Amino acid sequence: MSENKGYLVVEQNKKIIYADSKACELTEMNKSDLRSADPENAVNDLSVEKVKLEAGCELWILKQNNAECEFTSELEQMNERLENALKAAEAANRAKSSFLSNMSHDIRTPMNAIMGMTSIGLSHIDEKARVQDCLLKIKTASTHLMSLVNDVLDMSRIDSGRMTLNEEEFSIADLVHDIAVIMRPQAVLKDQELQIDIGRIYEENLIGDALRLRQILVNIIGNAVKYTPDKGKINVYFAQYLKTGRNRKSENNDKVWLDFICEDNGIGMSREFLKRIFLPFERVNNSTIGKIEGTGLGMSIVKNLVEQMGGTIRVDSEEGKGSKFHVEIPISASLKNDAIPELPVGSNVILVENKNDRVRQISGFLNDAGLKTVIIRNGLDAVTTLTENKYEEKMPCAILLGQEIDDIPVLELASHIRQLAGSDFPIILVSEEDWGQIEYPASRAGIKAFVPCPLFKSRLLKTLSELTKEMQISEKITEDYNNDFSKYRILLVEDVEINQEIVVEMLSVTGVQVEVADNGAKAVEMFKSSDEGYYDLIFMDIQMPIMNGYEATKLIRQLPRSDSSTVWIVAMTANAFVEDIRMSREAGMNEHCSKPVDPERLGEIMRNRLKQHER
Amino acid sequence: MQPYQKEYIANLQYISSLTVRIRPKDQSFDEYYRDMLQNRLEIEKKVKRNMQLLRENLFPVLDQIFETSAEEKDELREFAESLLNVREEIDTGLYCQIYKALLGFSRQMRVRNDAIKALYRLGMGYHSICNKLVSLEYNQVKKYYFQMRLYFTEAAAYLKYYDEIDDAETFGYILRSRANMSLGKFKTVSEKIAMVKRSLMILQDRGYQEKAPDLPWDRFIYMTHQQMAASIAYGKEDAMTPQDVADVMESVYIVYQRRLKEASENNKKLSAKIQLSSFAMEYCCGLHSIEDLLNKMEVLMDSADPSDYSAEGMYEIISLPAFYCQYLNKNPHLISKRTEYIEELYKKILDYIEAFPEASLNESLFLYLRQLSYTFVETEKSISYKDFLQKLQITFTPTIYVHSLAVGFAARSLCGLIVDEEPDFFDDIDFISRIDDISKKKSFILNYALECGILHDVGKINFINLYSNTSRQWFEEEYEMAHLHTMVGKACLEQRNSTACYADIALGHHSWYDGSQGYPDSYNRLDSSFRQMVDVVGLVDWLDNVTETARLYNGLDMTFEEAIQKAVSLEGKRFSPLLTARLRDKNVLGSIKTAFAEGRMQAYKNIYNNNL
Repeated sequence: MSENKGYLVVEQNKKIIYADSKACELTEMNKSDLRSADPENAVNDLSVEKVKLEAGCELWILKQNNAECEFTSELEQMNERLENALKAAEAANRAKSSFLSNMSHDIRTPMNAIMGMTSIGLSHIDEKARVQDCLLKIKTASTHLMSLVNDVLDMSRIDSGRMTLNEEEFSIADLVHDIAVIMRPQAVLKDQELQIDIGRIYEENLIGDALRLRQILVNIIGNAVKYTPDKGKINVYFAQYLKTGRNRKSENNDKVWLDFICEDNGIGMSREFLKRIFLPFERVNNSTIGKIEGTGLGMSIVKNLVEQMGGTIRVDSEEGKGSKFHVEIPISASLKNDAIPELPVGSNVILVENKNDRVRQISGFLNDAGLKTVIIRNGLDAVTTLTENKYEEKMPCAILLGQEIDDIPVLELASHIRQLAGSDFPIILVSEEDWGQIEYPASRAGIKAFVPCPLFKSRLLKTLSELTKEMQISEKITEDYNNDFSKYRILLVEDVEINQEIVVEMLSVTGVQVEVADNGAKAVEMFKSSDEGYYDLIFMDIQMPIMNGYEATKLIRQLPRSDSSTVWIVAMTANAFVEDIRMSREAGMNEHCSKPVDPERLGEIMRNRLKQHER
Repeated sequence: MQPYQKEYIANLQYISSLTVRIRPKDQSFDEYYRDMLQNRLEIEKKVKRNMQLLRENLFPVLDQIFETSAEEKDELREFAESLLNVREEIDTGLYCQIYKALLGFSRQMRVRNDAIKALYRLGMGYHSICNKLVSLEYNQVKKYYFQMRLYFTEAAAYLKYYDEIDDAETFGYILRSRANMSLGKFKTVSEKIAMVKRSLMILQDRGYQEKAPDLPWDRFIYMTHQQMAASIAYGKEDAMTPQDVADVMESVYIVYQRRLKEASENNKKLSAKIQLSSFAMEYCCGLHSIEDLLNKMEVLMDSADPSDYSAEGMYEIISLPAFYCQYLNKNPHLISKRTEYIEELYKKILDYIEAFPEASLNESLFLYLRQLSYTFVETEKSISYKDFLQKLQITFTPTIYVHSLAVGFAARSLCGLIVDEEPDFFDDIDFISRIDDISKKKSFILNYALECGILHDVGKINFINLYSNTSRQWFEEEYEMAHLHTMVGKACLEQRNSTACYADIALGHHSWYDGSQGYPDSYNRLDSSFRQMVDVVGLVDWLDNVTETARLYNGLDMTFEEAIQKAVSLEGKRFSPLLTARLRDKNVLGSIKTAFAEGRMQAYKNIYNNNL
């Protein structure tokens, strides 16, 4: 502000409520005198410019008369600045008002659902299913409400400068997988095609604020899902680049840059809106998306977070055609390096997948690791190839099952391959599904491991390495008698001598210690007289003289000792009726193993049980 | 065969003869009823004996399969093949169990030829299972088609080693497996046609033929052409590519010419099946209109001999009308001027099946009936679909009918008590809520509940061997397959006006109230406006199953009082608390128990009189 100017704020033209020191100098009065003086008299000899303020106040700008010309020009500039500030304040005010109005609607909507569903639930309190349904709806509504509140809190943290970023190690593979797990179900609900691709990744282990990074990416993809109509398409691309070849600031030299693009063919944005997209409280005004909920804070939070991380965000969009967000963020690489996994170099891996991109990507990874890929496009051909391989004793070291197999559902195929190829053969599912959702049926079908998509080389090779090593160990166990099961003890309860011999023979190759009881009563006696935890596993025949397997199991379970309820009891019988399975379960047995006993199945039970024991 | 194997089969045939409706001649109803109860006891005895035979004789053999002699394994195969073969299908589940054990052994011991044979046989076992799934969408049951195809594919993979295989029989299994890979439904008709084409190429390969000149190559090729020709009925013509059509035409022509030659040599008429393929192909190529096709089919149907119970006769009387109705369903505008014809057609079919001798084990008859039911055309004049289904139940699955009517009576009784207390209890159902007069509403609800009971298990008609002719408890896989009866029921009922309002009952009656268990997943209780009636039928169905009907195949056996106690303990989980609350009243229990007994008695009367 010019040193020649003094300022007064005058209320109702009668009372000076504010005076700066220059005004005191120019009027030759102190502040206290000025406040009690008549304003017009006080400025009698001075040049005065009056600017109207709110609530009947005026800003009086005082200047010596001889500086009048200069003063006018400065005053004009000042006016302009003030006017702009006023406009900005008014715009911000309008946005805040509209935000408050939207928020009150957005908050009221889930609140209505919560209150409505609560009353419905209360009025049907005897109908458990109805109440359950109400509670689920209440849960959905309150989750949404919580996200609204979180947005507002985040924005307030950013506004007040209290937002800080964590520095912690994280894996980009985990991050991308988490994002896929969160976003895919939402896209599925709208029947949208959500394609997540991974480009070149230099460093998988990074240091940064994974939570905030996830917030940025989920927000952008979430918007794409929200603002893209049903059956639309969303392409997401993750990659990294190094500084080389790009003109980056020197302080970021030691970092890799995360390159993230999210492109959709949704409703897009107008040019006008694009200018305001990163301002808080702004939302697309479009009748087709009237029902879409949100605070209008998301993109503002995203921009603030990206900038706080030292990155940039750009957006291109055309109304009616779609939007493309491009985020680049520098992230420090972790010094931790994963060991290169051991793999049976030169071996074949069968890849059953029909999606060309995926086939190219996986075979690239496998070739890099020195493995040969046998590409098969459909399930029946995979069965043919494996049958041939098995007959010729040239089994591949593993089979990777993709999700795009045209002719047969992958779990049906896996189940048949498990029967065909034996219990140790590595069958790996490479899929975009959420493993948590399919783990049970997939494991039952014989799938040994899961590699999530988007695919990362390290994960694929690590899984392959673990499984092929496991298979080698298991083959070794079968080949020589030196194995890890020697410290375990099994009680085999079987009345038929020849069956005892067969099972003992099968078990003996694993080194496990086997004790035999030839009827249920003897088994109970042996268990009773042993120390607690003495037996690790019991294989129990059902039909036996003196006491059958059901009774024996029931008696063992009733014994007053700590291991009576925990010892794993496996029914070993050819009785495969539903009633038999139910009865063995009701008697307290944990598992059912059909006869004729298959050594691979026995091995599988032991590995599953005894390994778990070790854990 | 071992004596126990022979006894098992004899028991099975005896059970089948007892379960099918016995035509009373000079018997009074009381005598007939006494016989039926006696039959039931006999069946229970035989089932127990069969279980004992399997537990004591078969399962120990499977236990020790690594120790059994080649001769014992041959006996096992012979036993299995008498359970399922081209002539009859008496126990596919056990057949598959035996062959799975044999396959496990052959794979383990690397006995190639035995493994191939077992794979082929298992493929055939699953083919038989697939035939029961006629009315279900491909996506609902594709796992069974895949199972079948996977076994055939693995066996066919040995084709590569044909030089090493000197046993013509094994080579025959490999080739038949290759050809059978195209059996059953596919996602698209083009997929099926491509598979058949590939099989034809292999079968026509001179190299293979020279390797095993004694094999019936001509027959293999002809049967594969038959499969190709059958695609015309399987696929929607508009889904075929021009190349597909050309391939099918070629096969239809070959089959047609061969049959024509055979017919003229034997001085017989050309079979209706072949004539239909030819007509359908001509229609598909645009040579004839749909009207022409239907007219030609009518001529074929009119000339069918209603006293011919051979495979050809069954085809002409039942299957051909099923295809005819399928075309009508695709072209509903052509139905109105054929209502009288359709009426006569169904009358003729019902008379035919009524008189059908020894129907209980005729799997082809059941397959054709499933087709007929699936494509049923309901008109104002012809028998309603509801009555048609009941007729099938009475004729072929009397035990299911008895259970259904008992459930209907009990549902009606429970609904009566509910409606007296809460007249609006079923008002979620639109057509009930629109009845204002309380006494009319009650009477409507009671009748509706009865019919819901009668029709809730119609889907079981696809699994006659599991439910009606059961000779032992089910295996786990059969238990899972039996769940499909709910979806079959819905698929049948929802298509026709007279039965659409029972579709949800058929679908949901095995679901759990809280949705935590039960089946099928496609029933969502809260989405169904029929849920209160589904709950009622679900409860009384369960009560009858655990106390009376289902113990033969799932081993559950409770007294009525135990069942009530159990139902109450499942309150809010399996059963609606609004219903179980009423089970605490002794008078209510008395009424339900009486209703079950009356329903059963009435069902036997209806069967005796052959009335609905």
